[in-house]
Amino acid sequence: MSAKADAAEHVDTSKLSPQFQVAHHFDTATTQFDAGRMGVWLFLVTEILLFGGLFCAFAIFRSKYFDSFVEAHHHLDRVMGGINTLVLICSSFTMALAVRSAQKNETKKTTALLAITLACAAGFLVVKYFEYGHKFHDGLLPGRFFSAEGFESGHAGIFFSIYFMMTGIHGLHVVIGMALIMWILLRNMKSEFSQRYYAPVENVGLYWHLVDLVWIYLFPLLYLVG
Amino acid sequence: MSTSHAEHEHGHNDGDHHPHVLPMSMYLATWGTLLFLTVVTVGASYVNLGHTGNLIVALLIATIKASVVALIFMHLKWDHKFHSIIFFSSLLFLAVFIGITMSDTQYRGELDGIENEHPIDIKDPFKGQTKGDFALPKAVDTAAAAPAPAAPAAPAPAR
Repeated sequence: MSAKADAAEHVDTSKLSPQFQVAHHFDTATTQFDAGRMGVWLFLVTEILLFGGLFCAFAIFRSKYFDSFVEAHHHLDRVMGGINTLVLICSSFTMALAVRSAQKNETKKTTALLAITLACAAGFLVVKYFEYGHKFHDGLLPGRFFSAEGFESGHAGIFFSIYFMMTGIHGLHVVIGMALIMWILLRNMKSEFSQRYYAPVENVGLYWHLVDLVWIYLFPLLYLVG
Repeated sequence: MSTSHAEHEHGHNDGDHHPHVLPMSMYLATWGTLLFLTVVTVGASYVNLGHTGNLIVALLIATIKASVVALIFMHLKWDHKFHSIIFFSSLLFLAVFIGITMSDTQYRGELDGIENEHPIDIKDPFKGQTKGDFALPKAVDTAAAAPAPAAPAAPAPAR
């Protein structure tokens, strides 16, 4: 451990991230890094409020059409939803490790971890694709497109409106997250990131963890309690 | 600036950023906790605790998972406190948003029955109501009003 730490100390840090420089209006690299990260946190707040509107709609309609929501949520596959939760948690874990390896100048490891994160995100979308396909096949569709039969309650369409809107917007965030991870993966392969400069890895990581956070609430509310 | 950052940067004067690297064991423990709690929350959904009971358990577990992700994966625990304030302010506004909206939608229409029985004459909204909460103010009784100013004056000498 100490030998490894010594080796890290002897890396010539001036050769790391050669493209990186501190903008002239920042005192230090840390100030610049912190300013960027604070901007990302402010952006994440707007994301929370975006999903908050949907959670608010869910709360209102669930209390208004409680029986419909309970009946409709039994048509979601909690095993598939659970698998997707595990997949997303694993992708969050590998993303966090990618930030860590970028901090430690382990460029190849960062590339591998980002690739695994991407694969998990793609796996999430594949499971989602099968789930959506199943819903389309059964006519479990939003609002007036709802055509499934054998429902005792009258407003299952509202549940599926909210289900498709919430998981759809979340899925869009997964797609955007994949594009961002691909972007930092390519930059990482050009050795742009190191202990001196890994702000994009950290910030894309924050975004990716938020996508995970939203799913952590979506999964139990939609799949487990309805 | 958080203490851990400040301590970490002590001794570095090259102007470079020096990352605060967390130990691998912490990431592994967090990952394990999240996987475990996911299994627990799915398992708990098969146990019938009543609709409210299941909802509370599910939200409680989700909140523990979300806290772990925010504190460790998103580094809020070691980050500037201001970033935590930004994050929690969004949750505060979310609570206001959902709470006030629900307080409207949950009780909307509850007075419709009463209002249908007693339609309001907009030109004379207090018509016929000389008693109860909607009573017109009585003519001021001068005898009763006279001692009133004396009451607040009593504690004055104590000050």
